Amino acid sequence: MDTFLKEMADILDEESVRENDRLDGFGSWDSLAVLSVVAMADSRYHATFSAREIRGVATVGDLYRLLSAGAKAG
Amino acid sequence: MKLVFHGKRIEGLLTVLPANERLFVDEMDQFDFPRTRSLKLKEVMGYDRHRIVDGDVCVSDLAVAGFEHLFARGLLDRDGFDALIVVTQTPDHLMPATSFVIQGRLGLKQDLFCLDINQGCAGFLIGLYQAFMLLEQPAIRRVALVNADVMSRKVSTRDRNSYPLIGDAAAITLVGRCDDARPIHANLQMDGRRREALMIPAGGLREPSSAATRVAHADAEGNLRARDDLVMDGSAVFNFVQTEVPPMIEALLASAGTDMAAVDAFLFHQPNRFMLQKLAEKLHIPCEKMPSNVVEHFGNSSGVTIPLALAFNLRERVCRETLTAVFGGFGVGLTWSSLLMPLGPLAFCEMIDYPQVN
Repeated sequence: MDTFLKEMADILDEESVRENDRLDGFGSWDSLAVLSVVAMADSRYHATFSAREIRGVATVGDLYRLLSAGAKAG
Repeated sequence: MKLVFHGKRIEGLLTVLPANERLFVDEMDQFDFPRTRSLKLKEVMGYDRHRIVDGDVCVSDLAVAGFEHLFARGLLDRDGFDALIVVTQTPDHLMPATSFVIQGRLGLKQDLFCLDINQGCAGFLIGLYQAFMLLEQPAIRRVALVNADVMSRKVSTRDRNSYPLIGDAAAITLVGRCDDARPIHANLQMDGRRREALMIPAGGLREPSSAATRVAHADAEGNLRARDDLVMDGSAVFNFVQTEVPPMIEALLASAGTDMAAVDAFLFHQPNRFMLQKLAEKLHIPCEKMPSNVVEHFGNSSGVTIPLALAFNLRERVCRETLTAVFGGFGVGLTWSSLLMPLGPLAFCEMIDYPQVN
């Protein structure tokens, strides 16, 4: 989770982010940030998510659970 | 499907770029996004500058300038080829095909096989396959393959999703026969079910261009575009490329019995630096074997990016020696394809500018 929070902070251009932060509360939660999450899901979790699925979650923690659930072995 | 060809080679290559160069930092204010986010986009995607035609410059203008250069320099005779293939998504007219426009403007012989192909980012490979097939005919000794697009004319200047990355360009590739007995291996897949990932919705006969289709609307992100403009589902394209391209390249090398390490250059379509670096990581290709710098210098010119990647990065080497090259194209259709072939020494590999109109 810590690594994930750090990566999300980078993507969102923030010093740090917390599990309960709402994604739509960040001005930087735009198409570039969503694509960056799609790319992170692909490289770190070997999982494919659409932009719509990523945009469908509310908080940073929800996003972590979505990606973790979609993770494939390897 | 797997494709195999014999006894064909690329003889020479010329690229034509509009001289007009625009910088991303000068264009940021035309997008409805905070400058900090646009700068982040620039950094992540590797946007910097791109080549855009002035005014109403068309595909045939770029191609005619390229051919005139080849004729004037003695690199090609006016009647030195028997087929002219034009791969474009931005033709001069709905009809006739742009290959006929080029034939007529250049005063080429009538004994010429003119053919247009509507293909995008895999268009260099699709054009090569067509050239290889035509060269099976004894009467066709050399094919001039033109890849050209002026996509800037079909992309909204206020669409941050697409405008910063596109570029206009043309390439003329001469393809001929040779005695090399080694087979050329290729593979190809197409998927029309995902055709809406990259499209220009209006302007054809399904949805004719009208006053209504020319009006720009904001999408959920704030990108302004009309139905007449290109629309791209960026994350769908990203997932498509990362899912389909690595296994395609592995399958190509397996069917050719070639090791990754034996390949000198991986010349892939250039959507943006971000996607190419992710592909290189997945395939474990060292950066120096896989150029990813076309978009930052010239923009993404669909089917012209592979010739540009070759000419910009390897033009001296490819005129001197024979490289084992892998080409990889992926985009509109959807289409994805790859090809392994010996490349070079080429008779010429040059880049010229199309003069500014003003």
